[in-house]
Amino acid sequence: MDTISRRRFLKLTTGAVAVGISANFLTLDEIAEAAIDRPLAPGTPIVVIVTLYGGNDGLNTVIPFKDPIYFSSRPDISYTVESMLPLDSELALNPSMTGIKSLWDQKKVAIVRGVGYPKPDRSHFSSMAKWQTASPGKAVNSGWLGRWLDSQPEDPMLAISLGSVLPPMLSGTKISGSALPLGGLVIPKGAFASQCIKLSKPAPTDSKLMAAAATSMRNLFSVSTAIQPILRAPAPVAVDLPTVNGGNAGGGSDLSQQLDVVAKLIAAGSPTKVWSVSLGGFDTHANEANAQAELLGVVSSSLTRFMSQLKSTTRLNDVTVMVYSEFGRRVKGNASQGTDHGTSGPMFLIGEKVKGGFYGDQPSLSKLVDGDLAVTTDFRDVYATVLESILKSPAEQILGKWSGRTNFLTPA
Amino acid sequence: MDIQRLETSRLFDRLGFGPRPGEYAQALKDGVPTLRARLTTIPDASLNISPVIEPEITDLGRPPAANSPEVVAFAIALRSQTQAMVLWWLDLMALSGHGLTERMVWFWHGHWATSIEKLNFPLPMFKQNKVFRTHALGDFNAMTKAMLNDGALQFWLDGQDNTVKAPNENLGRELMELFVLGVNRYTEDDVKAISRVLTGYQVVRTNGTVTINQNRRDTNPVTLLGKTGVFTGDTLSDFLVARDDCATFISERLWYRFISSTEVMPAGFSAKSAFAGRNITAAVQAMAADSAMQDPKNAMVKSPVEWFISACRALELTPSQLQTTAQLNGYLDKLGQVPFKPPNVGGWPAGEAWLSSATSQYRLAFAFWLVKQSGLTALTQIPRELRVRRSADWLGVPEWSSRTQSSLRSALDDPVQFALLALCSPEYIVSA
Repeated sequence: MDTISRRRFLKLTTGAVAVGISANFLTLDEIAEAAIDRPLAPGTPIVVIVTLYGGNDGLNTVIPFKDPIYFSSRPDISYTVESMLPLDSELALNPSMTGIKSLWDQKKVAIVRGVGYPKPDRSHFSSMAKWQTASPGKAVNSGWLGRWLDSQPEDPMLAISLGSVLPPMLSGTKISGSALPLGGLVIPKGAFASQCIKLSKPAPTDSKLMAAAATSMRNLFSVSTAIQPILRAPAPVAVDLPTVNGGNAGGGSDLSQQLDVVAKLIAAGSPTKVWSVSLGGFDTHANEANAQAELLGVVSSSLTRFMSQLKSTTRLNDVTVMVYSEFGRRVKGNASQGTDHGTSGPMFLIGEKVKGGFYGDQPSLSKLVDGDLAVTTDFRDVYATVLESILKSPAEQILGKWSGRTNFLTPA
Repeated sequence: MDIQRLETSRLFDRLGFGPRPGEYAQALKDGVPTLRARLTTIPDASLNISPVIEPEITDLGRPPAANSPEVVAFAIALRSQTQAMVLWWLDLMALSGHGLTERMVWFWHGHWATSIEKLNFPLPMFKQNKVFRTHALGDFNAMTKAMLNDGALQFWLDGQDNTVKAPNENLGRELMELFVLGVNRYTEDDVKAISRVLTGYQVVRTNGTVTINQNRRDTNPVTLLGKTGVFTGDTLSDFLVARDDCATFISERLWYRFISSTEVMPAGFSAKSAFAGRNITAAVQAMAADSAMQDPKNAMVKSPVEWFISACRALELTPSQLQTTAQLNGYLDKLGQVPFKPPNVGGWPAGEAWLSSATSQYRLAFAFWLVKQSGLTALTQIPRELRVRRSADWLGVPEWSSRTQSSLRSALDDPVQFALLALCSPEYIVSA
């Protein structure tokens, strides 16, 4: 039966934990082994994709604080001007995003405004599918970075998603990225370990699925002693953040745990050019203000910590972070102190090589399209630049003929 | 492999959640036809006294303002009711006298896959579970009609946003693709047409009450799958469910979830013709008697919940009594399968997707936690010298491989480890 249907692209709006359909599962050990055997060449660009599931309210992320329509459209959920973090004379960041504000001040943050695609779709599944396949007009069975993987020599380490579900963005037509479940693997020890090893040996009577079950347990124990030090090593220290009880402030959230692992493996030299991490919960139909501020605070502190951790590695200059969500939300607040599914929203690009500032036009609050924000930048403009300027691959193979570019990097 | 042992094992594993201690050995004495008849006979509803007390799931109403004093009580009620609902269902799976009903409720939950992650309120999910219970082995058309009026499903697929002015195709598309007909058995024009038919539904999110707002309905005739007319939810269900594609699709789904997620359904799979009258019991009974049940090719991986409930039955544990509920949640979450929370509208993954080294590690930890809470009476009652062989009967496993026998022999002096190894063996993780 054809399981490679549209279903593969239907993703839950908040952190899905179920196992994906066709992911290669990697263990930390395998990645660490690859990092030792064939580390990523120094200076190779790396992109870290951050997916915010649920539809992040862009208008309360990058806020047009001079526009009276902002305040009159959503009286229940607008912020006071004093609490916002101004970026220029018209736009301000959500009050919770202090870390990203400080990176912005260092000119390391590009904010692309009004990003979306033609004929906005307000279903989480379809809209996320459009973003992840980069094919908003026609449903296709491969993700944009999956098609990039198709164009590369096959290597399960090349693109890795944290968590046990492989996002459709990393599914190619021939090659797919790999999933790294979080939580590390606590491997049984001692006499019990030897019994487990015995239990995981192949048996001549095993069916195919029983053999797979045995293999999955055997893989638990296939850790060579050489890679133990990398696994045991703590994540890189965030050099310029205060520490709390020996750990850096901002830790503890699921996103920061994911980014901790990414930082550790980047530092170790994992031959990985694309990392995917995610945070769910942005579907703020009700009681939005607190919920979204909390989530954006997590995004901001986790990313700031991650960038800071990279400073204690040799790869700080190689990494670019890209943040997006499947859609923004309605301009008007709804009756439950929330917002409903909308259209365009801002994207963030963060890194040493990023040319900080605004890109794309801010959608006007007085010229709405069907009551929603206009799309002023197509996400494929950003993807094309990521493909060409970061991954050094021709964009046309992956996106088709597409002329738009968002040149958010400092010229090399 | 002994075909009787294989078929007996499959009947327990697939038409229920595995045998209780002693049931497998007894079934071998009774023979397959007796067991099959027993498992697929629907008990008289009037005699069916539930072994599990129903939790009180209430309409919690709109959340109070953030930072208000009431919000704490609200959040606690939300969490405790959701928790009670999950435990109620897990207990029913483990304790119910009629495993097939529970197995079908579980199947339909994965079929009409709706997640509480979007609803955020337990009552609509609870009501949906009751709909599955009512129709689990009944008439598929009646079930489809009930599901169109199910608040959780409507909300999950944005039915309440589908109006004559602003159509939303989410529910209409999935109704054809995932629930009734199967993918590509319709055109994009049919998706537009069916979405117009499904306009006007409104849902009270906190309690799942569905009403139809005539002002939001599109009452113009549509052309759907070649038929032009004005449909209501009920006549739409009549029309879709009567199509041949519906019998094909439902038998494909039964095959995929009960027989094999890797082998292709043969054209002659008897559940399909048995479903001619759209009676679910008839299809399931035909499936249970199909020769596919004896074909060694048709192994299935037990999903985490299936594995957990089978283990509870073998270990004589009650899910809600496990210490602690938070730990239970943690294990199910790590293994990727929490009831009421399917990952997407396509339902739970199947097959090798459940077999990564990460899940194998979590399964070991989960099994250890369970075994420690069991008296292991059934296992320790088996004389030591017979324990390896007879433990296969205890768990309903057709046969242990030489590998697993050798591993179990090394743990003969330690029943906890013995049980742990048996529950994590490839022969138990996979329904042969």
